[in-house]
Amino acid sequence: MPQARLRGALPVLRYVRTMAVFFIVWAIVARWTGNAILLPSPLAVFGALVDLARDLELFLHAGISFGRMLVSIAVGALLAIPLGLAMGLSRTLDQLVDPLIEILRPISGIAWIPLALFIFGIGNALPVFIMTYAGFFPILLGTIAGVRGVDRRLIDAARTMGVPQRTIVTRVVVPAALPSLMVALRLGVASSWTAVVAAELIGAPSGLGYAVEWYRELLATPQVMSFIAMIGVLGYLCDLGVRALARGFTPWARDTRAGA
Amino acid sequence: MNGAARRMRHGGWRVNGAAVRAARGLALPVALLVLWQVWGTALHNVRMPVPTHVVTAAIDLVGSGELPLAILQSLSRVFMGFAVAAVIGVPLGLLMGSFASVERNVDPLVESFRPIAAIAILPLAILWLGTGTSAAVMIVAYAAFFPIVINTVAGAKGVNATLLRAAATMGLPRLRTIRTVVVPAALPAIGVGLRIAMGVAWTAIVAAELAVGAKAGGGGSGGIGQMMFVFYAYSIELNRIIVCMIAVGLVALVLDRLLRAAMRLSMPWTAS
Amino acid sequence: MSPIEPGAAAKLRLSHVGKKFQPGGAAPTIAVDDFTLDIAQGEFLVIVGPSGCGKTTVLNMLAGLDHPSEGSVALDGREITGPGPARGVMFQDYALFPWQTVRGNIGFGLKHGAAGNGLSSEARARRVQDCIDLVGLNGAEDKYPHQLSGGMRQRVALARLVANEPEVLLMDEPLAALDAQTRLILQDELLRIWGQDRPPHARRTAVFITHAIDEAVFLADRIAVMTTRPGRLKALIDVPLPRPRNDATRASSEFQGLSQHIWSLIRDEAYRATVT
Repeated sequence: MPQARLRGALPVLRYVRTMAVFFIVWAIVARWTGNAILLPSPLAVFGALVDLARDLELFLHAGISFGRMLVSIAVGALLAIPLGLAMGLSRTLDQLVDPLIEILRPISGIAWIPLALFIFGIGNALPVFIMTYAGFFPILLGTIAGVRGVDRRLIDAARTMGVPQRTIVTRVVVPAALPSLMVALRLGVASSWTAVVAAELIGAPSGLGYAVEWYRELLATPQVMSFIAMIGVLGYLCDLGVRALARGFTPWARDTRAGA
Repeated sequence: MNGAARRMRHGGWRVNGAAVRAARGLALPVALLVLWQVWGTALHNVRMPVPTHVVTAAIDLVGSGELPLAILQSLSRVFMGFAVAAVIGVPLGLLMGSFASVERNVDPLVESFRPIAAIAILPLAILWLGTGTSAAVMIVAYAAFFPIVINTVAGAKGVNATLLRAAATMGLPRLRTIRTVVVPAALPAIGVGLRIAMGVAWTAIVAAELAVGAKAGGGGSGGIGQMMFVFYAYSIELNRIIVCMIAVGLVALVLDRLLRAAMRLSMPWTAS
Repeated sequence: MSPIEPGAAAKLRLSHVGKKFQPGGAAPTIAVDDFTLDIAQGEFLVIVGPSGCGKTTVLNMLAGLDHPSEGSVALDGREITGPGPARGVMFQDYALFPWQTVRGNIGFGLKHGAAGNGLSSEARARRVQDCIDLVGLNGAEDKYPHQLSGGMRQRVALARLVANEPEVLLMDEPLAALDAQTRLILQDELLRIWGQDRPPHARRTAVFITHAIDEAVFLADRIAVMTTRPGRLKALIDVPLPRPRNDATRASSEFQGLSQHIWSLIRDEAYRATVT
């Protein structure tokens, strides 16, 4: 049905139209200010983007940042998910650990950068540490909320079937909390990715954040903008990735959209 | 288990539930502090930060006025940026949530820039506005903008359609409906957006000041982020860095609580 | 015909059961007060009453999910201390595991619970299939709960209940969330699965909660009428309608008469429930 296909393409067309307007306005303002360093034309930025992509510099830094994020999320999830499960299930453990969490949480990962710089110096370890810290708290808190939010009825139903307590934890609580866990993972990834830029800008010899700053010092605005755009694209792709993961792990869950 | 039974559990001592909870809550932080103090002093390294030195550093910084001044500088930038973001974001969000055509045209832009964190824009901001307050305010405004818009849109969209229909049957014109029906109904969601935005804004200013401090050196704009960097790069005062970190956390907490209280006061009809 | 033979030991016994709730230090509410009832083996007992009268609390205590503040609850003379597979429960909102298919849900208790002890996996699979056939879910075995209609979900809950072969069926307003037509169909199915076509001694004991009077009269051997909070046993009514019951039963004059009688008992309670 050609009509149906046209209808499906409508949001894509609208997106293209809005972005086209954006680029046209940009081009006009760029021509009007006339300062290539302050506001290069969209074509100049696009040209820089193509060059960076062609000699792979764009992808090299993107890969480094992405790799750091993978490591950070893996470590963060490995620490946060078991702890979150335990804290969600045991009131006692929660009372013990929660105050420490609540003290550390308001101190954002970024506030740790100076101290971390002293401990780790400039290098790979610094961004990974900051990103792990940034991702840890959303994942932990989301996991705890997920465990606590498990429908009481499901646990009751399992108890009336004579299912032993430990099996209830593994076979009822964990699967029931999985959708919330996936949302927590999404938030953790977003938080971690935000931290990557700050960490690399200040304390790393490579990566997208470093590249942005490097080219700024050279006053090469088209390149700066290219890398900024790459940060956005990669952040979007990571979120898409986690959402796909969520669909794979929890095929029964309806699409939950997390807020900002 | 009722109160009497719980009291009996603890061997007949008159220890009620609240005291036990408080004791459990303090146990881990206190234990860690003690461990840190012992390990730190045992290390015999002058640089090593230690809880007692952190306390003296805190007294110094607060007493000399350096810390309060820095916090005030940072806060003033946060409020300026936050105000800009709110003044633009809330009306835009309301329009987007109420008129599908507005949303269709603006949303692609919002969604395209959302994954780009505020701090990534910092080099651009420095390029345009230098390393002063204006760049910092721009970063804060950018950071706060997205939670505000997204939550306001959700709030405006989430207004019960029946309420809107009721207003239409009473003959209210569209803009009046927005002012009198959509805004109060969306206020809780807008409040959530403002609260999230405040937290994001505070993080953004610390990051921005830190980054500016790293590039522009010790002078200039001040603020707590830059102070932290100076303590790292120039005087290597780890105790002072830790005092700043704690201050960052405390301010974040206080801001959040204040906003929550403001929300409760302005919206008595919502359940807390 | 009431299946209670005089002098026979009760299958389930509630003795002067009371339940008090004290949420967070506020004034205590008495949900159930001095509730005494004997339920015989093979009997279909329905508890009926206005909203909030404590019916669910009574069922929870029979299930062992809640403990009485006063009095005792016993199965076959032994006090009930917790939930178990001998007393199967069907919840109002089905409580199906969303991550399991229909087959997975029905077989859950056999796989992980005490009801499956000593069963080989083939025996388990066979029993699950029997239950699927019994409730009429063929064709939907591999679907997830969110893909099923309300009526089908209720069938899954019923199949899951029956698969564990409990001695007692405890059902908390299981048909409340269904539309009127589906509800009538499932009432027939419920009686069939309970065993209304079998002789009385071959039937399972059932305790069923509802606030729909016609449903109560259609299903029950006896009806226990409860008052509003605090919930007390107001009356115990025999329902001597012949079994098996069907649409003709619903049209009969005895059915209408009983329904009216029960309504007259409940009416004041129902009114009071709307103004408190």
